Order: sequence, then structure tokens, then C-alpha cells
Amino acid sequence: MSIAASVLDALRAESALHGGARITRAGLRIGELSGVAVDSLRFCLEMLVADTDLAALAFEIECAPWTRRCRACNTVFRVSDARPECAACGSGDTEQAGGDQMELSFLELEEP
Amino acid sequence: MRVPLERKVLNENDRIAATLRERFRRNGTFCLNLISSPGSGKTSLLERTLGGYDAARRVAVLTGDIQTDNDARRLARFGFPVRQITTGGACHLDAAMVERHLAGWADDDLQILFLENVGNLVCPTSYDLGEEARAVVLSVTEGEDKPLKYPATFHHADLMVLNKIDLLPYVPFSMELVRKNARRVQPEIEILEVSCTTGAGLAQWNDWIQRHL
Repeated sequence: MSIAASVLDALRAESALHGGARITRAGLRIGELSGVAVDSLRFCLEMLVADTDLAALAFEIECAPWTRRCRACNTVFRVSDARPECAACGSGDTEQAGGDQMELSFLELEEP
Repeated sequence: MRVPLERKVLNENDRIAATLRERFRRNGTFCLNLISSPGSGKTSLLERTLGGYDAARRVAVLTGDIQTDNDARRLARFGFPVRQITTGGACHLDAAMVERHLAGWADDDLQILFLENVGNLVCPTSYDLGEEARAVVLSVTEGEDKPLKYPATFHHADLMVLNKIDLLPYVPFSMELVRKNARRVQPEIEILEVSCTTGAGLAQWNDWIQRHL
């Protein structure tokens, strides 16, 4: 719930940067490793915007996969079943690449 | 009009966390964020830790709970500065709470600051508190699959403290499996085994802290 509230704070700040334009649609990118459950986030967002100036706002939530990069063959691979080994060459020498994002990816603003 | 963005949702939290991290670095304070489910033994571990320090040690604790100041009262007995952060419903600490509760403390010569997070294996993960290291406490009564069930939490941890190892004879818990599971989600994680009841492993825990000072 506090993450949803932070999303709305960030949206309001962005709206202010654009002369207070009304936001009609907001894109969020949530990583598999961010610790946020997309369904719960959506539920909290919808609850928080109901009966406010943002009530008409639509959310588009994209789930970013957990990825690692192989130090041996440089492949970036999606981590499945929490296995750190490279999906391409099998090397165990891999490093974190992505999946902990929690960010606003786009806004759609009403034309003034 | 569509505006592409790359704005972090928690950028306000991250901004405060960055100022805290700089403050701890400047003061030479090792700040450790302790995360676990309720009842894993974060407070017991801190009691054991503070109990072993002599009075000259400059150490302080901020302890978070949704309600009550029970933990702060347990920890204040050792004579070091302790403050309770009562979140009033929030299931995690955030950087602003830490900053607010440090106010008025002379923390410029603090060697160690422990942040005992709210008992929860999910929400504290997303909130940077400006800590230098993050430890997850997992007790052997909880099951070896916790790192796989809560990968985000273990992935962001530097250390896993396996607590209550005195109970191993009574619970079906495989140390080998939990180590393997933790290393699957975080290959670099360090692992310690302790019992706050018998004191086993606490020397290694103290060494681990000492290495960061």
C-alpha cells in the first residue's frame, strides 16, 4: 500500500512538471525481484485513486523478468526456478542483470 | 501525449537513503539492516550482541514494530541508545523513519547502528535505509525453502543468519538444503549458524560485524 502511495506521489510530481496536465494513463515496470506483487499493487492503486482527481487513471503494469548475465559467454538470460547457472552455456559464473526495477515507464497526458 | 519516463517509484526514499548512507560513511558508522519474519530471533540476536559489548562500545539500535515498544525495552537494558520506531501499521521501515528517529542523537562517533526491521520477509526488501549491509535472519523452524519463496529478500541480502540451531535435533530442517537454496538466489551470500539460546556461533557473528568496522 505504501508503494502504491509512492506511485501516486510520483505521478503527481510528474504531472506538476508538465504544468499540471491530467494524467490519463500510467505505465509501471515492476521487476520480479522487486518484492512487489503486481496484483496487490494494482488493487492498492485502484483503491487509492477511487473518488480522487485520479479516478479515471488507467494503469499499465509490465512485469520485468529476473535476469542474470553470464561472465563466461556474456549471454543475458532469464532466471527460471531461481537457478543462477547460465541458460546458454551452463557456467555458474553469472552476475545479476535485471529484475529489481520498480519504476514509472511512461505517462499519457491529456492535451491542454 | 505520451511521455516516456524512467522514474523510480521509490526515488524519494532512495534520495533520503543516499543522504543517510553518506552520513554513516562520513561518521564511520557500520549500519546493518536486519530483516526476518516475525519470531526468527532478530531481537534475541541483538540482545546477545549488545550483552557482549563493553560499555565503551559506541553502538545504537533503531527497532521497528507495527505496535508496542516491547523490543526497545528489551534492548534498552544493556545501556546503549535504543529507540523504537512504531510504524503504526506500515509493515516495513523506510528511510524517512530512520532519518526522523536519528534526530537529536549524537551519532557522529557511532561505530555500529543496527536497524531492526519490522518482522516481515516481503515489504522491507524494497526499502533502502542507507545501510551498508543487509542480513536476513532465518530460524530453523521456518523451513529450508524460504529463500526460494522470498527470492527478492534473500537476493538483496549480504548475510543469512541461521538462528535456533539448538533446535535442529527436533525439527526436520536440512542445513545443506537451506544453504543451497540461499546460494541459488544469491550466489555471494555469506551464511552463519547461530543459537541465541546456547550462544553457539555468536563468536563468528561478532567477527563478521568486526570485519565491517
